[in-house]
Amino acid sequence: MNRTFAPLRRVVAAVAFVVPVLLGAQGGTWALTNARVETVTRGVIEKGTIVIRDGLIAAVGADVPIPADARVLDLAGRTVAPGLIDLTSTIGLPGAATAAPVGGRAGGAAGGGAASADRFTGFEADRVIADEVRVSPAEARAAREGGVTAALVAPPRGAVRGLSALVPMKDSAGGADVIKSPVAEHFGFIAGNGFGAGGTNARGDHTPGTIMGVVAYQRQELYDAKRHALLEERWKADPRGLARPEHDPDLDALVPVVLGRMPVFYDAPQENDIRRAARIDKELFLRFTIVGATEGWRALDALEGHPVVVSVNFPAPSTVTGWSYRYAMRHESDDSAAADRAARTLIEGNAEAIHKAGLRFALASGGTNATAFVSNVRKAVAAGLPADVALQAVTIRAAEMAGLGAALGSVEPGKIANLVVTDGGNVLAADAKVRAVFVDGTRYDVVPAAGGRGGSRDGGPPSATANGTFNGDKTP
Amino acid sequence: MTQTLARRAGTVLTGIALGVTPLAAQQGAGAAPADGWNGAGALSIPVPPAAKLVAITHATILTASHGTITDGTIVIRDGKIAAVGSGVPVPAGAQVIDATGKFVTPGIIDAHSHSSLQGINEMSSSVTSQVRIEDAFREDGLTLYRQLAGGVTAANVLHGSANTIGGQNLTVKMRFGLPVDSMKYDKAPPGIKFALGENVRQTNNPPQPGRPLRYPHTRMGVEELLRDSFTRAREYQQEWKAYDKAKAAWKHGQPEPIPPARDVQLDPLVEVLEGTRLVHAHSYRADEILMLLHVAKDFGFRIASLQHVLEGYKVADEIAAANTGASTFADEWAYKLEAWDAIAFNPSLMAERGVRVTVNSDSDERARRLYQDAAKAMHYGNTSEEEALKMITLNAAWQLGIDKYTGSIDVGKDADIAIFTAHPFSPQARVDMTLVDGRVFFDRRTAPTLEAVLQSLRHTRAAMGGGAE
Repeated sequence: MNRTFAPLRRVVAAVAFVVPVLLGAQGGTWALTNARVETVTRGVIEKGTIVIRDGLIAAVGADVPIPADARVLDLAGRTVAPGLIDLTSTIGLPGAATAAPVGGRAGGAAGGGAASADRFTGFEADRVIADEVRVSPAEARAAREGGVTAALVAPPRGAVRGLSALVPMKDSAGGADVIKSPVAEHFGFIAGNGFGAGGTNARGDHTPGTIMGVVAYQRQELYDAKRHALLEERWKADPRGLARPEHDPDLDALVPVVLGRMPVFYDAPQENDIRRAARIDKELFLRFTIVGATEGWRALDALEGHPVVVSVNFPAPSTVTGWSYRYAMRHESDDSAAADRAARTLIEGNAEAIHKAGLRFALASGGTNATAFVSNVRKAVAAGLPADVALQAVTIRAAEMAGLGAALGSVEPGKIANLVVTDGGNVLAADAKVRAVFVDGTRYDVVPAAGGRGGSRDGGPPSATANGTFNGDKTP
Repeated sequence: MTQTLARRAGTVLTGIALGVTPLAAQQGAGAAPADGWNGAGALSIPVPPAAKLVAITHATILTASHGTITDGTIVIRDGKIAAVGSGVPVPAGAQVIDATGKFVTPGIIDAHSHSSLQGINEMSSSVTSQVRIEDAFREDGLTLYRQLAGGVTAANVLHGSANTIGGQNLTVKMRFGLPVDSMKYDKAPPGIKFALGENVRQTNNPPQPGRPLRYPHTRMGVEELLRDSFTRAREYQQEWKAYDKAKAAWKHGQPEPIPPARDVQLDPLVEVLEGTRLVHAHSYRADEILMLLHVAKDFGFRIASLQHVLEGYKVADEIAAANTGASTFADEWAYKLEAWDAIAFNPSLMAERGVRVTVNSDSDERARRLYQDAAKAMHYGNTSEEEALKMITLNAAWQLGIDKYTGSIDVGKDADIAIFTAHPFSPQARVDMTLVDGRVFFDRRTAPTLEAVLQSLRHTRAAMGGGAE
């Protein structure tokens, strides 16, 4: 008991200090009973029990005995699904908030803060996100409110961005909490200081200044890494008589990429981006996962053979205005509500088009908050994506793309106990309300902020204790 | 809305009957073309499917290679010209385009274009042979459709002129409405942009305050940089040759030779040295033209075309002797210092001295009416009709290394064809129909409706955060 509760108390204290509204984060051994369990990989258990022990799912089923030491949580009428995994996140990354959205092109220059802009070159293959990520309790709580329990954190801009980390949505998560690092090397078409975004005459002494310059730079780096790999291999085999390969952390980071051991997550939202990325992949025989692909429906042929992380961060037609919009129009065009709706149908039908084409894909937020993420996934479902496929795409398929299909993404014995507990159907259902999530077997109750959606402030007791038969932990 | 538009477009297409057979009878409402965008649904551009057999009949045919044929027939089989002449029988089953009273020319080829690009100049260095226009080319530039409306079937899409050695070009066929990758003209040899003079020196375009001047800042520096770059390329080429030799001689048990470092900047320059990549060089003044021809001679390669070449008339003999083409404006001058000595007789004078001359657009707008610019060569310099036509067709194909496949109306060539309502050099002429590989990519009667579809498409792109250019 003590062993279990010591870390727990620390978490409770941290939560209590920063977010008094939270009712507690509780680890230990749990038995979630009478729940409708959507395992994602093994069908639905209408009235099942999930036993959680030491952060892992110990047992799942309709007739699972409840261990003597377990705290029992009666979830009658509620649904448990795997916690969502967002593969396009900048959560806990310093300075990321001001940068470009993931999986989408910034309206203008994608520069971060002025202070960092001067240092930023856009080529940081050896940047290790796990070393710098730190999820604040407020960020983690916001993610959990949408049912997100893990996020893949990578820089949102740059041509070669660094090595991403899959981070659990615990308060103050970072460092040792990281689930997996590195997950992938991240590439994109925006170079240093926002250059490379595609100006007609990109100026100045920054290399590269255009998208074609970014592509050239990436190709050169990858060829350099191939040679670096060869030199190292030869030197390791027999260093006698050979000049030793130069020490180059960037090339070292790219060696697993060119050897096909490290996936590349390539940020490519629009059709042209997707085709460019596919061209580089073909030339260098890499393993690109295309990220963004908001115009995937236009480039299904180019996406074939690539895993796709599809962003559901749909731009709103009515909010796209301003100079670049007018310039693009050049002539008057139909911007009626009807045309907006037609555009929206296509934009939101993207995931369904990719699904219908038989491509391997996951859905991701594209940089929005978790609540918007879930609501956008619902729109993709409304536009035709089967609901069960959508749930897979935000859980098991996302886990697989992060190389963690055996550890995360479904309710199966032995997997990490990342779960989301909802009222009103599973987390993607139209009226679903997230009541609690489990991250690494630790229970976090979700209590919406006052005036927020849903919640239990309308007279009923807080959900955290409403159905918990165990209420031994003191919460402030 | 868009669905309605596409349906409307489909209806119009179904109704096409320039001749006897509807060109797109099977083009259903809203159906994507057989090889159009997958899944593009209502917003796919309804390109009629390619017909296996087409006959253009009763046309006045300006062949650009063997004179004019009156009341002529062109038979197109599988996208290639199968027969041409008067009295050629129309094969059974052919879709017939009756061109009575109309003028048929080879599709126009724009020898200098920057159309539909997402970034034209990589300005960060004066040598950027490593960048590829292919990576900046967008398939959705409406200008491409408008150029089809001006009879353009192919274009040399070039990097800008900011650098001594600019990026790699892209020769496209205007297969507008198909995915961007299918617009690349595979038979075209690769090319590269060079530039000389004021743009490279950045004298009209000085660096922003606080930024250093970029080398070179003089014409002397431009020559030095060219020689330096090709010297580097030569050494690189030698390194690889030595490696290939060592590798071929290598036997098991010996230390395996290690390949040199691949250099994506020098690779294309080696191709230039080896004659497999064509050089298109932006130039104005006679002195810099001679300089470039000398540099090329010293390094043993050929300049495929001089672009703009406004003082070319002063050194036409030297250009002709170098087997170099000249691609110029019809009548533009004095817009900057190095354009001071430009004259409207330039195309004609160069052609008279045996230079293969083209008239280019360098502009989305002018590209739509290149036939009028070619007519100016007749007007100013008494160039013959066929020679003037060559300036926008066959000569451009020659400069791009595709004259074996397109550029004139000859048996065996791609059926890239423009059909005009009047003689193309008449002020009344308009393009009725443009065929690329025997497939109708522009038809004036469907144009307004298609345009509406395109605008919807444009709207969607903008709504999705794209849509610049």
